[in-house]
Amino acid sequence: MDSHASAIIFGWDPLWVSSIVFVITYAVIVTEKINRSIVALLGAGLMITLGVLNQQTAINGIDFNTLGLLTGMMVIVAISRRSGVFQYVAVWSAKKVKASPWGILFMLSLVTAVFSALLDNVTTVLLIAPVTLLITGELKIHPYPFLFAEIFASNIGGTATLIGDPPNIMIGSAVNLTFNDFLINTAPITLIIFPITLFVIYLIWGRHMHATDEARERIMQFKERQAITDVPLLKKSLFVISLVVIGFLFAHPLHLEPATISMMGAALLLLLTSINTGAKEQSENVHKSFAEVEWVTIFFFVGLFILVHGIEHAGLLDIFANQVLSLTGGDLTLTAMAIIWVSAVFSAIVDNIPFVATMIPIIESMAPTFGGADQLMPLWWSLSLGACLGGNGSLVGASANLIVAGFAERAGYRIHFIQFMLIAFPLMLLSIVIASIYVYIRYL
Amino acid sequence: MSMDIQNVLIPTIIIHPGMYVRDLFKECGKLHIHALPYCDEKGNLSGTLTLKNIMKFSCLPEHMVELANLLGNQMSCVENAEEKAREIICNPVEPYVRELGETISSKEPLIKALALMEKNKTSYIFVVDNNDYKGQVTIQGIAQVMSTFDDSCAIPDKP
Repeated sequence: MDSHASAIIFGWDPLWVSSIVFVITYAVIVTEKINRSIVALLGAGLMITLGVLNQQTAINGIDFNTLGLLTGMMVIVAISRRSGVFQYVAVWSAKKVKASPWGILFMLSLVTAVFSALLDNVTTVLLIAPVTLLITGELKIHPYPFLFAEIFASNIGGTATLIGDPPNIMIGSAVNLTFNDFLINTAPITLIIFPITLFVIYLIWGRHMHATDEARERIMQFKERQAITDVPLLKKSLFVISLVVIGFLFAHPLHLEPATISMMGAALLLLLTSINTGAKEQSENVHKSFAEVEWVTIFFFVGLFILVHGIEHAGLLDIFANQVLSLTGGDLTLTAMAIIWVSAVFSAIVDNIPFVATMIPIIESMAPTFGGADQLMPLWWSLSLGACLGGNGSLVGASANLIVAGFAERAGYRIHFIQFMLIAFPLMLLSIVIASIYVYIRYL
Repeated sequence: MSMDIQNVLIPTIIIHPGMYVRDLFKECGKLHIHALPYCDEKGNLSGTLTLKNIMKFSCLPEHMVELANLLGNQMSCVENAEEKAREIICNPVEPYVRELGETISSKEPLIKALALMEKNKTSYIFVVDNNDYKGQVTIQGIAQVMSTFDDSCAIPDKP
């Protein structure tokens, strides 16, 4: 007998035990009453203590490529943001359009989308939202349309690349997709969805925006150079970020996994920022940088991976996959459309990370039906587009949305859940219609 | 002068319900201190009011702090500064009351007061004996007392 084999307690059926643990854990996560990382870790612990998995099998279920990629990028961003480079770009872009309100909305959305494609969405909006509130305050314009546009831009931008949004990181890691695979497959459609979204925002709010010449002049007097607080750090950060992006672009010929590239980048930036400093300063720098990693997210992922591995191990996901296939009659087009739409609606209502973590093994187990793993690509792109774009559907659809709403509220501009959803949900559905047409034309 | 809490103690007023930010600012400005204790309606020492906290919540939105380097004279937020200041000092203190931090007894050694300030990342600590507020110890106060021992800086005679 395998020394690592699990031993289910009381001889209970592992399928039932794992299903109950999984459903209860997800239900508690959805209520948001208890921190999601605590719930996920407790659920994962139960999968092991109840004998669905043993410790080694549970560890085998953790996708360290996803964790490494996320952690490495978080360290790089934590260090880089101290230089003020992101605020510099945001203010610079606002001045480039002569501080016209619609021009600023367009430029800040564009900057948000580009940053979101290269950094995580939460970091991006954490950097852009304060600039937006400052600028709209000076223009004496309500910040809501700007923040609304930035939420959409962050989720659309994040859809474009492997590192832009956690669902893409998870899908890329599970299926061995490279940075370039996402650039070729998801980025093109975001280039269509982004301007269409902005056009709708223009029709709703943009065409009515107006600011006085005096207010615009105040923006033009901003000295974006003052946002840069540390020029040597800026140079080091840009150097490392460039290296990391080049690494992602050439990951395939270099035979490197994304986690290796991002972790190497993080280590290099830590080294560059620690050179010529004493032991105490080095220690402080490393402590500070590691402390800014979102450990709640990382441990949430650890718990989720074990939970999903538990139900996969017990055979529940095979049953799910068979159900989906029987509903779609094993038709690839129907399955792809079902995945993109269900992912979008789910991601608008609940956290898309647990959903994608569950969907990955389900889709993997469909390979025999569709003639092998290579035939599953339309399903992977459907999952990516549905889960990432679906985050726009409501305020709770993505962490970045809540961050923006929090900033707005603390500045005295409350974004109401229903008020946001009334426009966001239909606009998200429009993006899913476009994405569905794209998937159909390109892959089916 | 000996180095114990009694000798560096700064007696202050206590802020009560119904008082205004102006009362706090006056006392803090007069004694060069950063915080005052707050007593609730029942007379219990229940909170702290700090200058930093009042400034933060009355005139420093989060995004301005994030972008502190970008702020300049051209901004609309610097207009009517006097009027805004008048508005702030006329606010009641209640919304700014924070949880009462650690306190120390006047019988404790001064080094403990310093250690507690360092631990709690503050530059003051309230001195309370049996629920009776006696005053506060501040880093500046300790430094001032230490500076009176200036004869210790005399250069020793060379042999």
